[in-house]
This record gives sequence, structure tokens and C-alpha cells, in this order.
Amino acid sequence: MKHVFKFRYVVSTAMALLMLLLALPIHTFAATPYTGYTINNLRQDVRSINGYVYEGSIDGYNLASGAFSAPEDVFIAEDGTVFVVDTGNSRIVHLDKNNNVIKIVGDAEGDGMLNEPKGVFVKQDGTIYVADTKNQRIAIFDQDGKFVKAYGKPDNPLLGATFSYSPSKLLVDKRDYMYVVSDGNTQGLLQIDKNGQFRGFYGANHVGFSWKRLIDKLIATDEQKAKLAVVKPLEFSNAVQDNEGFIYTTTLGTETNQLKRLSPVGVDTLNIGERRYGGRFDAGPFSVPSFLDIAVDKDGVITALDLQSSKVYQYDKLGNLLFVFGGLGNQNGLFVTPSALAQSEGGTVYIVDKGRNRVDMFRTTPFADLVHDASRLFVDGRYKEAEGMWNEVLHYNANFDLAYLAIGKSLYKAENYKEAMTYFELARSRGDYSTAFKEYRKEYIRDNFAMICLILIALFVALRYLLPFLWRKAKPLLSARRTAGAGLTKEGVPHDRNV
Amino acid sequence: MIATFKLMRQVLVHPIDFFHDIQEPGRIKWRDAAVVMLLTYIARMVAILATGYAFETREPYEISFLHEFIWLIVPWLTWSVANWAVSAILEGEGKFKEVFVGSAFAFVPYMVFIVPVTLLTNVIALDEDSIYSFLINLTIVWVAWLLLLKVKIINDFELVKMLWITFLSIVGILIIWFVGILMFGLMNQLINFVVDLFKELNFRR
Repeated sequence: MKHVFKFRYVVSTAMALLMLLLALPIHTFAATPYTGYTINNLRQDVRSINGYVYEGSIDGYNLASGAFSAPEDVFIAEDGTVFVVDTGNSRIVHLDKNNNVIKIVGDAEGDGMLNEPKGVFVKQDGTIYVADTKNQRIAIFDQDGKFVKAYGKPDNPLLGATFSYSPSKLLVDKRDYMYVVSDGNTQGLLQIDKNGQFRGFYGANHVGFSWKRLIDKLIATDEQKAKLAVVKPLEFSNAVQDNEGFIYTTTLGTETNQLKRLSPVGVDTLNIGERRYGGRFDAGPFSVPSFLDIAVDKDGVITALDLQSSKVYQYDKLGNLLFVFGGLGNQNGLFVTPSALAQSEGGTVYIVDKGRNRVDMFRTTPFADLVHDASRLFVDGRYKEAEGMWNEVLHYNANFDLAYLAIGKSLYKAENYKEAMTYFELARSRGDYSTAFKEYRKEYIRDNFAMICLILIALFVALRYLLPFLWRKAKPLLSARRTAGAGLTKEGVPHDRNV
Repeated sequence: MIATFKLMRQVLVHPIDFFHDIQEPGRIKWRDAAVVMLLTYIARMVAILATGYAFETREPYEISFLHEFIWLIVPWLTWSVANWAVSAILEGEGKFKEVFVGSAFAFVPYMVFIVPVTLLTNVIALDEDSIYSFLINLTIVWVAWLLLLKVKIINDFELVKMLWITFLSIVGILIIWFVGILMFGLMNQLINFVVDLFKELNFRR
């Protein structure tokens, strides 16, 4: 009997444990090979929750196209299909939303043969513009991938005799003007119209003022000047256009304002003053971030790829850092030599890893979705609606300084100045704090006007009448003590004219 | 102590008399200078604590009470030494004690007014900061004027000579600092050398 009981006991315990195990939610997780961080208002790196995680890769091995070779660019068309510029194989691979091959652009022979193209742009109607780099031309294919025509090297006296044409990236605007990034060209984007005519440079970077150059110029002899390195404006590495017609560019070789939003007349509207993009020490000290590609979604969120650190930086429309992901390495989620990126309508970021011959896809985390929603409302000035979301953001990650600022602005708009001040202080935004404080002060004086007046009158009376009265009373006492003690002590001031 | 406060009052109200009077023997003590500088330091620290949020450009962790002390005391000491040395060479009449204590008393306006002026930052907004910066600049100019007055009266200089001596004193300060930093570096090297030597010998024993 006893044994049976014992057996039952063991079995029932085991069953209970098994049930418990089944009832528990199953945890599956894979650690990302990079730590999420963001930059706070003291310009320090602080931990944050990752906004993007690795989802998968396309390398072409199991596709009809065969494996990619050193791809240089990726483009996502309006309909969500993906164009991969397979530079090493001199072709463009067109994939559908499920990453199956639709077609391959680039003929085996004839005029439609590509030679190491580096960029592609697909218009709304499906016309494919290829920056056919080694052939020094822009090749155009129709939506079925049939070669239509090509624009060769533009001919214009403005370009100069030494101009070397090496189109690497391009975009096409509503007027069918092509904006071409030519490698090594420092004069800006080349504008080429639909007849293949050169129509001028667009949005060139400028050489800023430098004291050193001025002094060099003043004291150097002509021979010395001839030996000095010629200062040239910085070169663009990429350009994309958003829905509103602004052109976003990435610039190489500078620490500040590497990302720009150029208006139709070529003026930067993103940066007021100098602004640093990228991580300062992500790639080591004294290394300058070199941004290779940029993507802008419909809300103006900017995603940019830096080759130095192999990281992807995401900024909101105003240029505040939201997320950082990626890095240098061999694990999934890191890159060997990233070369380009694109963002799909759904928010998936495609990153071309030239070194590993594949395209990596990253999806947003729920935290990133939340931040994106909140920042969209914030950028539009709809602070009140965003407030709840920002509170949730802070619930997940109290390091997110942007949230404090946004909540502060919402409270300010709701005329809750005292609390707005608290949040602006948390966000370390002195200007906003001061504005809120001014309103608060107004309110405070209005509410306590009688009291403040009373205190002022009391203060006036005390200073004007009470203090002199007490002074008159105390003076004889003090002087009496001094005359009494003068003979005894060395204290006191001899020869004082003012006594 | 009472006498120190009386002197402080005099330097505020009758600065010219003050610098004439301190040349009389027995009127000032070394202790007065220490008291004034200590009070100035305390006033400075109180002012830092009392600054309104919008006006404080430094984060709390960036403020060190030791650094504040050094940045007050070292310039004062080096100024006293440099100014006394330069004026003594160039036929000034001032004694070191007068220069030393007189320089300390030049800080009195700063000591007295810095706290009330800083309290103002708690009731004004950033776009009204011209009031604040005007008052702060006023106290600083006052201090500078007292220092110049001290150079002129204590040494009985003409105006032009006073300015020349002031310039030379500033050069002297820079030289003292340079030599100080140099000595610090060399001493460091020397001490390290001796320590290393000892370690080496110990190691091979």
C-alpha cells in the first residue's frame, strides 16, 4: 500500500510539473550582436532599446538569378519590389515582395550590356535608370527590362576639360531631370535633362572660411602657393529624394553636416549651424564617419549608413538621433563592407553588404514602432496626442531624452507650466525651460499679487524706517563699548577717518 | 573681526581713503586678507548653488569646490607676488603686505554683490539675461578698478606708469604659471625617476 502511495505521489508531482511547463510561455530569443544606444542631451552615449533587429538575408544562391557578386546598391520601387544592383555580375536583379526573381536587367550583349553598374533608380511607371559606371553612361530600360536608350558623358564647357565622368548614383525627379552623383566630382550633383543635356550643377558643398588658409594666402610666396594642396569642396556620395521634392545628400570627408536636406534651389534645410552625425568614437578616435547612403521614409525619418563604423544611424525629421544598429563583424546583424541601404514602405531596412555578397533585412522592434509613431506626431507639432506615447517610451527606456522634451512641450501647450519646467529640466533644454518659466512667473504673480505687494511694502518699510531706527539705537551702545575697550585691546581701527 | 568688517565697509564706500589708510602701520593684518578671501570663496560657492536652472551652464558634476578654490586663490596669490615684484623693481613704495591685503580687499564688491545678483537668476528668464550680465559685469569692473586703484595709490604711481606696471604684472603672472607648471612636470619626472630607480634596485637585489 505504502509503495502505491509513493508511486502515485511521484507520478502526480511529475504530471503537475509537466503541466506547469506547458502552461509557461515559450521563450525564444536571439541576442542582437550590437547594443542599442542613443545620444542624450549631454552628447553622451546612453543605453537604449534596439530599434532594429536582423530578420534575414537575400544572397541569391537559391534564386533563379544565382548568387550576387559585390552588390553596390538596392532600390525599393513604389510598388514594393526590390532592385538589387549586382555590380560584380554587371546586372540588376528585380525581386518581388517575397524576394523571388521577377526579371534580370542587363543584356548579355549589345547596347543593353552593363559594365559594373553602381546605382539604380526606378520611376513610378517602372522605367529603370541605371548608373552604368564603367560604361560612363546612364542606361535606360523599360518596365519589362528591355533596353531603351543611354545617355553618355554630358558635353558642356561648364564641366571643364579635365572632367571625368563616373556616374555611381542617380535619382530622377518629376520633370524627368536626372540628378547624377559622379564619383570624385566635387561640384555637386549633375543635372541632366531628358534629352541628355547637362543643365548645371545642383547643391554643391562649399569651402568654408579658414584662418589658416587666409594666413597662408597672405604670407606664402607664389612658389609656395603652387605647392599647397588645392582646397576643393567635399564630394557627395549619394542622393535620394523624398515625397516633398527635397533631395537628401550624404557628404564624405567631414565631421559635421554629413547629411543634408536640400531645397529645390540647393539650400540645406536640415542643419542649423554645425551638427555632428554618426557616432564620434564608434569607429575609433580621429576617424571621420563616411556616410555612403541615405533613405528617407514618408514621415521624414532619415536612415543613413556609415562605412567607418558599419553602423546605421536613424534620425527624426529634425535630426535627433533615434536608433543605431549594425556594426562591423561576421554575425548576422553585422556587416563586413556595407555599401547601400533602402527602406521599404513597411519600415524594413535593406542593407547591401558588398563584402558578403548579400542584402540583409532588418525589421523594426515594437519599441521602434512606438518611437516612430510618437516622433511623427511630435514633428508635426501634435504634442498632446503624442504625450501618451512618449510616456510609454519612457516606461520602456528612461534614457530617451527626446521623450522628456516632447512631454514638456505638450504640458507647455496645455498651460501646465510648472510641470513643463520639470520635464524641460529633465530634457536639459534650458531655452524651453526659460520660456515655460516666464509663463509660470506671469501666472504666479497674477495669483499672488496681493501677497507680493504686501511683501514689497513690508520690505520697503523695514529698510527705510526700521533699520535706520535700530542703527540709531545700537550706535551709542557700540561706541560706548569701543571707548571702554580702546585702552585695553589692540582691536579696533586707529586713525579711522570714518568713525 | 569687527575691524575687518569695518575695513570692508571702507573699501566699498571710500576706496581711495582705504588704500591711503592701509599704508599706515598696524592698520591691516595678514589675517584680514585670509578672512576676505575665505568669505569671497564662500560667496562664490553660495552663488553657484543659488544659480537658477536656466542660467547654470555647467552640469553639477562639472563643478568642483577644489577647482573653484584654486581658480580664486592662485590668481590672487600670483597677482600679489607679480605685482609686488614688478612695482618694487620699478620704484614702487608698496610693501608686500599692503599689496597682498589690498588685493584681497579688492574682491570685496564681488563678495558682497555676487549672491544677491545671482539670486536674481531665479526670477528672470533667459531672454532677460542682459540685466544679469550687466550687474555681473559691473561687479567685475568694480573689482578690476579697485585693483588698479590699489596699484596706483599704494605705490604712488602716475596713471600711465600704473597701467604699464599692471601690464608687466600680468606678464609676470603668466611667467610664474609657466615656471610653476614646468617645475611640476620636472618634479614629477624626478620623483618617478627616483621611485623607478628604487624599484629596479629592489628587483635586482
